[in-house]
Amino acid sequence: MTTHCSDGAAPATEKTALVVESGRDIDELLTSVLASEGWTIQRVVDNQHLLALAGAKPFDLIVTGRKTHLAEDVELLRKIRNARPHVRLIILTDKFTPGDVIAAMREGAFSYFSAPFDASELAEMVRAAMAEPCWDDGIEVLSGTPEWISLTARCDLATADRLVQFLHGVRDPSIPEAEKDQVILAFREILINAMEHGGHFDASQHVEISFIRARRAIACRVKDPGKGFSLEELRHAAAGNSPGDLFSHATVRDEKGMRPGGFGILLAKKLVDELIYNEKGNEVVLVKYLDPPKTPMI
Amino acid sequence: MGLQISIRKSGDVTIVDLRGRSTIDDGESESLSNQLQKLVANGVRKLLLNLADLAKVDSSAVAIIVRTYVSLKREGGDLKLLSPSGLVLEVLTVFRLISTIPTFENEAEALASFQPRGYTATP
Repeated sequence: MTTHCSDGAAPATEKTALVVESGRDIDELLTSVLASEGWTIQRVVDNQHLLALAGAKPFDLIVTGRKTHLAEDVELLRKIRNARPHVRLIILTDKFTPGDVIAAMREGAFSYFSAPFDASELAEMVRAAMAEPCWDDGIEVLSGTPEWISLTARCDLATADRLVQFLHGVRDPSIPEAEKDQVILAFREILINAMEHGGHFDASQHVEISFIRARRAIACRVKDPGKGFSLEELRHAAAGNSPGDLFSHATVRDEKGMRPGGFGILLAKKLVDELIYNEKGNEVVLVKYLDPPKTPMI
Repeated sequence: MGLQISIRKSGDVTIVDLRGRSTIDDGESESLSNQLQKLVANGVRKLLLNLADLAKVDSSAVAIIVRTYVSLKREGGDLKLLSPSGLVLEVLTVFRLISTIPTFENEAEALASFQPRGYTATP
């Protein structure tokens, strides 16, 4: 796959970001992060001015304002990408619907933050956008409805972080935030395992992912490009230790010169209700059951 | 930076303050792992990991805490944890680390716990 990295934006020493005003706290945060790396910031008051400027010249990063609806930001992104297909655009919004998040991914937003969001997470994502050399074939939505999304993700940590942030941006009032956080953390562990052990963090490799929202469950399927493994033979992971033993696998990892780790599968297992591997061991499904919705008495 | 690590001393106890996130991204966990292993290699035997301002962890952080705990135990030392909360507390609880590694809400109590019992003021 050929990857293009810029739309003719300035060389590394003259980076410029185009930012829609969002209010003092966010504006100051963005200024602090961007200026600390020597970036120039151009501010506009709304999407109309943003579109005019972005059409006239390339920017290295664009950040939308919180006041516009996500659907408008996605439309803006579509127009900008027609002229500048590799633009890095981070969407901030206070107004959104779950389906809009799929559209934002599909249209190639770099990231997406729906209110309320953690300012430090935004700062980290802006830094990632500033640093990431090539990004825009990282996530490809193959099909998407609010109940079932299928996509592929490139085998690198930056892409994993982008995908996880999109998931955090989904606000479904019928899913308690605490349970959503558990599913996302479990998914992230399995995703990184798939990218590391199945895809060897090789950016030419991709992981296949599906998210399914049933009425009383959330399910995620992750398929990696590797040869698979057997849980019984997994001596370098805590999941292969005897019950209650957290330490035996660490010796195996030391002997193999592996980084400290091996807790990902065990953590995921404990955070969701079911973790099911296929026979080959390169495909896994996570299931989290939800309490039945409270229906009004008739 | 995703993870800020600062190190201070209180008597013979080394306190490591963590702020931000300790995840596999951007080498944060690797950096923490290196710092802690260096402390142990340099002879630190009483280590208090202050997690009060640690917002986020993943399994890589769990692995580092376990590894440091095992290394210190092997050398006759002690690792203790201070003020985990939110998602960090949840992850540590999932692995029953809170019941394995002594954990405190208060720094003074944590520091006192490193001293031999006969020297502490509490009954």
